[in-house]
Amino acid sequence: MADYSFNGGIVISNPYPVDKVEIIQAPLPKKVTIPLQQRIGERAKPCVSVGDYVLTGQVIASTKDSFGVFIHASVSGVVLSINEQVIPHKLGLKSQCITIESDGKDKWIDNSGCGIDFLHCSAQTMIDYIQKSGIVGLGGAGFPTHAKLGKIKQCHTLIINGTECEPGVMCDDALMQLHPREIIRGVEILLHICGAKRAIIAIEDDKQAAYQALLMFNHNDRISISQIPTKYTSGAEKLLIKALLGVEISSGGFAVDRGIACQNVATTKAVFDAVVDHKPLVSRIVTVTGSGVKPNNFEVRLGTSFKSLISMASPNQKAHDYRMGGMMMGVDVADIQAPICKITNAIFVNNHIHKPAIQECIRCGQCSEVCPVGLLPQQLYWHAKSENIEKAINYNLFDCIECACCDYVCPSHILLANYFSFAKALNKQQTREQDRINIARERFEFREYRLERNKLERVQMMADKKKALKEKMAKEQSQKQKIAKAMQRVQQAKDKKNDTNI
Amino acid sequence: MTPIFNSTSWMMRQVIYALALGVMAAYYFFGWGVLLQIVLGVVTAIAVESAFLALRGRDVISSISDGSVVLTAILLAISIPSIAPWWVIVVGVSFAIIFGKQLYGGLGNNPFNPAMLGYVFLLISYPLQMSTWQIDFLSLSQALDVVFDLSNIDVISGATKLDEVKNGLSLAGSIQQLDLHSPSQAWINAGFLLGGLYLLFRKVIFWQIPAAFLAGIVISSILLSVSNTDLYLPTQNHLMLGGTMLGAFFIATDPVSASTTPKGRIIYGFLIGVLIVIIRTFGGYPDGIAFAVLLMNMTVPLIDSFTQPKVFGR
Ligand code: SF4
Ligand code: SF4
Repeated sequence: MADYSFNGGIVISNPYPVDKVEIIQAPLPKKVTIPLQQRIGERAKPCVSVGDYVLTGQVIASTKDSFGVFIHASVSGVVLSINEQVIPHKLGLKSQCITIESDGKDKWIDNSGCGIDFLHCSAQTMIDYIQKSGIVGLGGAGFPTHAKLGKIKQCHTLIINGTECEPGVMCDDALMQLHPREIIRGVEILLHICGAKRAIIAIEDDKQAAYQALLMFNHNDRISISQIPTKYTSGAEKLLIKALLGVEISSGGFAVDRGIACQNVATTKAVFDAVVDHKPLVSRIVTVTGSGVKPNNFEVRLGTSFKSLISMASPNQKAHDYRMGGMMMGVDVADIQAPICKITNAIFVNNHIHKPAIQECIRCGQCSEVCPVGLLPQQLYWHAKSENIEKAINYNLFDCIECACCDYVCPSHILLANYFSFAKALNKQQTREQDRINIARERFEFREYRLERNKLERVQMMADKKKALKEKMAKEQSQKQKIAKAMQRVQQAKDKKNDTNI
Repeated sequence: MTPIFNSTSWMMRQVIYALALGVMAAYYFFGWGVLLQIVLGVVTAIAVESAFLALRGRDVISSISDGSVVLTAILLAISIPSIAPWWVIVVGVSFAIIFGKQLYGGLGNNPFNPAMLGYVFLLISYPLQMSTWQIDFLSLSQALDVVFDLSNIDVISGATKLDEVKNGLSLAGSIQQLDLHSPSQAWINAGFLLGGLYLLFRKVIFWQIPAAFLAGIVISSILLSVSNTDLYLPTQNHLMLGGTMLGAFFIATDPVSASTTPKGRIIYGFLIGVLIVIIRTFGGYPDGIAFAVLLMNMTVPLIDSFTQPKVFGR
């Protein structure tokens, strides 16, 4: 048990529980659509063309951006198109994607990594494998893992996040129950890379099966497994660190600066595959749950459409409310033709939800009671609503982790977290605008300065020239005088000579 | 998106349920007048609020159904004498809703507790009607007679205990010579106390305000009575007379006008308690709850801004 805790948060038991957590292998999709824009970093550039035959695991797009990761074919087959396709988004936006039609053979590229006795490989080699395998944080953040690992210096503690990020999501639980060996080995790899003395795997105390499974496979005394109380938002990195170590990472600070590295369990398993076999990330485990389906976990190839995955979870007739991610922080998805991406940890499929009418805030304070960050959501809401962003920032708007705990308890059903993300976006826009104005002003000022400088320079030049001319003239004058004097002297001498001659 | 486990109307309903015990106790001692005032108040409240919402072009049904006006009306109705003429509650509730709430922009925007604003308005405008309480149980027809002034019946009426203390003290000169015994008030207070505990249990209200409120009363009354036992009311009487428990659990805890930070709630509640004792002891009015609450309402923005909780990582 972890000894420390943090204030706030809410206890919500899994709203759609299952008898037994399993992972169903989804059949090979007929077609996959793979977006080229990753969560951050610049968009990858395709290195295949329409009509090319690709193997499973083959790199189909790459980027030189340090935050970029390689993108791989998740099935073998023929590249059907490279064009704009729907991506998971609440407005059904489109983005550049590569579509591959599967040949149904799932022929893999030849790859070999460090092997199971990986310790002979250097940390840098491992990081390279991780980057080349396209690993990003699979807990939902999608931050490129190689970039995170590259930043770690003097790491003393590695934390493996095995807390399910949100109620109802079961993919990490399933992974820990069914792949404990790979996870433990993955932790050893991460320990090797970041040189930490110890690793802690954190599991919520309602996941006994996963806890036991990991315990059984863990023979490394540098790795400990710690149970923490089941409470929503304990999966948030800084709160987890607080709960495990009692260390409070300062606002705006990073865990790595305090020598603490965090990785999600699913990422750890992907790291294992990447380093040991150099097996690229072409599939992931997705929880499909909600009132409209039979809840389960599926291992699917990336690029499979939401629609075909949902159809495997026996959806009922009334199901038509789709959400990617958890019920708290997820986003509603407009078009379920969208593909499963690396960060798609869960899909909630619900029968139509009656959304209660939003009422005025009655200042009841329930929201501040549950805010794990200690904010006053109601005050923030007040300022965000009136677009008084400056005030909202004074109330620490940017510390909000948008966990939506406040939404959950608000008796007036106000969607507080939405307001906060809106306010942040507005502020970014404003600062961008301000930046633009600043840049324009600087440019203008620089131009003025340049003109002024040119003018001065011209004046100086003229003066210099004049001076030079004068000097030259003076010099010439003196020379002339010298010559004249010399001539005079010569003349005098001549005259003298003539005189004596006479 | 989430399973709904409460709503504003749910919360308001819980508060209304929690009031039931105290109201029953009041009914037991004073009879039908109590219920009559509540009915009059609620009907007026709904009518006035609907009219105003309609004028402002708001959705009448959904606003009424949040239950907040009904609650305001009930709180005011049980604070005034149950034999007050019908127009007193009608005027009071109308004032509370128009000036205490709608003119500020409706639910959630009012800086003052509307029920207490209405109460103070009545107290200042109609001091006679507001200070005459009956002593015994009234039947329905008696209550109707009195409230609507139908025929001239004699109700045995008098002042409340707190009034008596105030007046009696100047004559008798010592607390010990007064009869402070008032089973009706004690029972009513006990009813509201139990109702308040129910609200705490359901997490509709937070513990800080009532606890600090009562602590404020206890501490300041102990200090006073230690200084002079003859002059100042003992603590237990402060707790069991007047509207103490109603104030602690139902009035000071009105979320809209109370402080919202955990520390702020403690300061807010405590100072209300202290002010009540001061007003009861040195002020011109018998019970100081309404004044104390309104005074502290004014300080809420200040308290809130000074008691912001510690933000994680800061
Ligand atoms: S929970 Fe909702 S109603 Fe209550 S204070 Fe917060 S925002 Fe207002
Ligand atoms: S969304 Fe923001 S304000 Fe609301 S509880 Fe979470 S951190 Fe606090």
